This record gives sequence, structure tokens and C-alpha cells, in this order.
Amino acid sequence: MSQMITIELNGKQQPLPSGSAVSDLLKIIGADGKNVAIVVNEQIIRPENRPAHFLQEGDRVELLIFAGGG
Amino acid sequence: MDFLQLGSYTFSSRLILGTGKFSNATVMLEAVRASGAQLVTVALRRFNREQPEDDLLGPLSAIEGITLMPNTSGASTAAEAVRAAHIARELSGSPFIKVEIHPNPQHLMPDPIETYEAARILAKEGFLVMPYITADPVLAKRLEEVGCASVMPLGSAIGSGQGVATAAMIDIIIRESGIPVIVDAGLRSPSEAAHAMEMGCGAVLVNSAVAVAGNPPEMAEAFAEAVAAGRKAFHAGLMPKSGSAIATSPLTAFLGAKE
Repeated sequence: MSQMITIELNGKQQPLPSGSAVSDLLKIIGADGKNVAIVVNEQIIRPENRPAHFLQEGDRVELLIFAGGG
Repeated sequence: MDFLQLGSYTFSSRLILGTGKFSNATVMLEAVRASGAQLVTVALRRFNREQPEDDLLGPLSAIEGITLMPNTSGASTAAEAVRAAHIARELSGSPFIKVEIHPNPQHLMPDPIETYEAARILAKEGFLVMPYITADPVLAKRLEEVGCASVMPLGSAIGSGQGVATAAMIDIIIRESGIPVIVDAGLRSPSEAAHAMEMGCGAVLVNSAVAVAGNPPEMAEAFAEAVAAGRKAFHAGLMPKSGSAIATSPLTAFLGAKE
């Protein structure tokens, strides 16, 4: 069993296997990586950096999409 | 051909469509197609795994000829708007940003001070800044001076359907402006959009009037026609107004009238 960490995802606690990268998080929650913006601790993580950006205990992650708006 | 010029971008359509408040995404996409809009607004929202269908980037990208203009709705300070703009640009790949900063949900009036500050920063960073503002000619000029691509004064409160209640101020803004003036918010009917275009607006931005219409795609088309007609009328030049009647038919030499 791998160890678990807890991050804050869109304001809610999210358990995650230790050593997960941002790209792993997207797979786990079923988000289409092409259509989401990801901000980790106020820093935008571009698609090319997601496989190498590893999440740490307590990281604050925002996952954003485009929805309807005027 | 008569194009709307925003930065280095040219658009043949002068109707900008918002994507909020539609009953569902299918109807929204139909309305976007029917409107012929080439610039379409979207808003940033948190991803919700229970509602993956809320994502509009995929379906909107599939429509040819659409450029996205994300807004900064939800921001109540310049710093928040700048942050939202950076995130939005990552997603959209578009340089357009509608700066929308309204701290009070009761009336949704834009904060002129925070809007000016956010616009100044974002224009410097190379964004094509489209600020949503109150119809204030002084603020509009200041925003032009810091490099905004357009100014977007409100016709009336967002979603109110009260039309172009600020027409006298918008008239001054148009007269003074070297960048396109776009009436944003408050329009209810295509005739109001035509009126704004006849006044010399560069475009109009419509959302609620289409989204909550009985038949949104049909209303989108009606707005497109009204915007085109209004623009053509502006181009043709409206006749001057007169305080008294000026006959269109001859009033003399009729049935033996004495000359």
C-alpha cells in the first residue's frame, strides 16, 4: 500500500497516493486535462509541466473550467 | 467590407454573445451558431466532477470561427481580476479578456477604480482588454489611454432588460472615443441593439435577452439582423432631426389652390 496524502481540491479535502503528479490527479478525478486550468498554491501549472509537478501534503489545488457567462 | 477591429483582430459580426443562463448547452450552442457571433464570452468556474457537461471549452472550440472572450466575473478586486485573466488565458489561448469587477451582487455595478487598475495592468501585459464599465465618458477615456481594445459601457443593469437607459452618456463616449464602444448589459430587444448601433456603437454584447427568450436560437438570429441593420443605418447616415415638420410632398398647386 502506498502512503496517502491529503490535498485541498477546490476547497475540499482530497486524499491522494503519495508521489502523485498533477496529471495523476486529473486521471483520478476523471477531468479532461485539455479543458481544465490547474492552479497549485496560486501558481498555474501548464499542461507540459503536469506530469512532473508532484503534489505535497496540504497543497491547495484549484481546477477550473469555462462555464456559461456573459 | 465593414469590420469590427479589436487590436489586431477583425470581425465581420458586430454581435458578441454571452453563454450564461441558457437552459442547457445544446440550446446555447444552437444560439451561438444562429447569432453568427465570432466573439463569445465564457466564465471561469470550479470543475465539478458530478457535472462534467458544464465544460463549454470543448463544444465551443468545435464551432468554426469563434474566438473566446473569458470574463473575470467573480472578481471583486483588481488583483483577483488579473489572476483570473491569467488563468483564463491559459485555457482559452485567446488574448481577449472582459474585465468585469462587480463587488455588490445586489446591483452588479462595475467598480470603476478596480476595473481601471486591472485594465491598466492587463493591457500592459498584452491582453486585449474589454472593460465592462458604467457609462462614464471620463473613465472610458482613461481606459482608452491605458491601452484597452474597447470600452463596454452598460446600457442598464446586468440582466435587467431595461435597454439603453444610459443613451445620452454613451453618445458622449462614442463621440470622444478612438476605440470601439460596445454596449454591454441591459439589452432586451433587437430594436434596442439596432438603436445602439445606429448611435455608432462598434458592437453590442447580449446574453440574457437571448438566453431566456422563448426560442433562444431564433432570438439570436433576430439580434444579428438588428445589429447588422443598425450598423448599416449608421453607415448610411441618419437624417438630421428637426423641431418642426418639413413636408415630403408638394403643398402648392393642388386643385386650383391660389399661388
